[in-house]
Amino acid sequence: MEKLLAATILAAGLYAGSGSAQAADCGSVSIAEMNWASAGVAAQVDKFILENGYGCTVNLVTGDTMPTFASMNEKAEPDLAPEFWVDSVRTALDAAIAEGRLIQAAPLLSEGGVQGWWIPKFLADAHPDIKTVQDALKHPDLFPAPEDPKRAAVYNCPPGWNCQISTANLYKALGADKLGFDLVDTGSAAGLDGSIANAFEKKIGWLGYYWAPTAILGKYDMIKLPFGVEHDKKEWDACTAIPDCPNPKLNGYPVAGVYTIATKAFTEKAGVAMDYVKTRKWDNQTVSKVLAWMSENQGTNEDAAKYFLQSYPDLWTTWVSPEVAEKVKAAL
Amino acid sequence: MALCDYMPALLCRFPALSDSTIRVGRKAIDDGFKGLVRSYASIIDAAVQPLQTFLNFLERLFVGSPWPITLALMLTIVYFGSRDLKVTIGTAFAMFFIGLFGLWNDAMVTLAMTTVCTIFAVLLGMPIGILMSRFDRVQSFVNPILDVMQTMPSFVYLIPVVMIFGIGKVPGMIAVVIYAIPPMIRLTNLGIRLVDKEVLEAADAFGSSSWQKLRNVQFPLALPTIMAGINQTIMMSLAMVVVASMVGVGGLGKNVLGAINNQFFTVGFLNGFALVAIAIIFDRTSQAYGKRLQKHSEVVHG
Repeated sequence: MEKLLAATILAAGLYAGSGSAQAADCGSVSIAEMNWASAGVAAQVDKFILENGYGCTVNLVTGDTMPTFASMNEKAEPDLAPEFWVDSVRTALDAAIAEGRLIQAAPLLSEGGVQGWWIPKFLADAHPDIKTVQDALKHPDLFPAPEDPKRAAVYNCPPGWNCQISTANLYKALGADKLGFDLVDTGSAAGLDGSIANAFEKKIGWLGYYWAPTAILGKYDMIKLPFGVEHDKKEWDACTAIPDCPNPKLNGYPVAGVYTIATKAFTEKAGVAMDYVKTRKWDNQTVSKVLAWMSENQGTNEDAAKYFLQSYPDLWTTWVSPEVAEKVKAAL
Repeated sequence: MALCDYMPALLCRFPALSDSTIRVGRKAIDDGFKGLVRSYASIIDAAVQPLQTFLNFLERLFVGSPWPITLALMLTIVYFGSRDLKVTIGTAFAMFFIGLFGLWNDAMVTLAMTTVCTIFAVLLGMPIGILMSRFDRVQSFVNPILDVMQTMPSFVYLIPVVMIFGIGKVPGMIAVVIYAIPPMIRLTNLGIRLVDKEVLEAADAFGSSSWQKLRNVQFPLALPTIMAGINQTIMMSLAMVVVASMVGVGGLGKNVLGAINNQFFTVGFLNGFALVAIAIIFDRTSQAYGKRLQKHSEVVHG
């Protein structure tokens, strides 16, 4: 993968250097605008750069991990998913790549997605003894369950996501049930976000699964608690990620791989833009800053994409050739 | 597109407020709302606590009772409601299959939820409908509100509701009732308004008070329409179960959501059909019961 990337970057450099300006016609491209903030902004950034820098006609298709993947895999539509968390569909994706239907391009989030159990920062400041998840579980009184004040709660990730299974297994491994903690089903991303917002507005404790980079973490200050063990991939694949695993052990969350995925049709249609799709990546801190700006200013994905292009030219000009960069700058 | 090149800009771009103005306004409203939540959090919590306790109790009652007792009770209610052996046997079969596929507990959670929501919607909706039929002014005031309730995408009000109440059965119930109550109100109003003028004149001639007129004339004659309203309310409550699951209500809806997100067609269909079965049981029982209530049989929807 890295070799391939290096080769592409090299090739891109040569290509750009040779001055054979991106004369090739790009055509019409559909990009999946996923329904969470960071992916939505990425889609808008891609749209802006592809339209203004490469002369593509871009239409955005609203998406969500599973339906979008199924559609790309079966129907080759949409052409491009800028931010795709591949772990949830690893096997199917590998098969699709092997059969040449899909292409895994750049890792959009260079550090990958961070996931784990988080608590609000104000709670960590008030209780400096809470350093790990196990410490938090010693204080059931700090994390009241939403429907039963007598119990405490660990907020689970929404149903149908892979993290739901792993979170449930870790909950079991920690024996949190005996410590007075219920595993609360949040139902949807909106439910999970709402429960965090609710806890922050009321200044009560909250413990549960979340991931970065996300707008919520840009908006609300949260601290990720370690489990005190390293991520053990073998155990993870054998049990932690398997539903109803009989005897789960404690395990750390893996760093999720977040890649851009393109259909074969895209490489044929938008060959000129392929180098861009294979090189562009940003780090979690940049994304979090952009998302924080977005929620602070109530901006749309499009506003945030423009804000990013205006504020971080040093980062994004490295993704494209100087001519393309000029065109994009002119359009801003 | 091309036409706009030769036209003054004002005609091609709608004179909208500037982005920054709109943004400031939105932020102000959002912050105001958050401030309200912050200052009234404890009062709100105390206010919904009884409802939360009741919902928890009912769910535990439905899930925690041994299944033969629940099933026997259900069949008894269905039989005495419908007086129809076919419906009762059908119910027994449907519930048996729901249990066979391991959905018994989920079905009970959903049943508890829909029962509460339906009762709530009927008890709340009927008086409003009667008031609307009485006073034209109330009708013209309530109708647009009902339009909003039925068309507003549920997540628009679910997000603030979750922010206020947290996640769980209370916000779920609010969402379901908002969606399911309009047909109850509308059809109660309509049924009473459609009662024959001559019948009312006769009642007046015999010197009935307005309360007697409502109880003994209008209500019985409006009953078929009101029953249709109750029936629609039940159906809509069940349809909203999936959306309620999005804010942390368990049961069949949660399975459907998980199945959608994972693209498990079979699980989705199994849970979906369990919902359909429960809906049909509710429907047939309430319809037959409604029919028996009226001595004056009119056209009943079915």
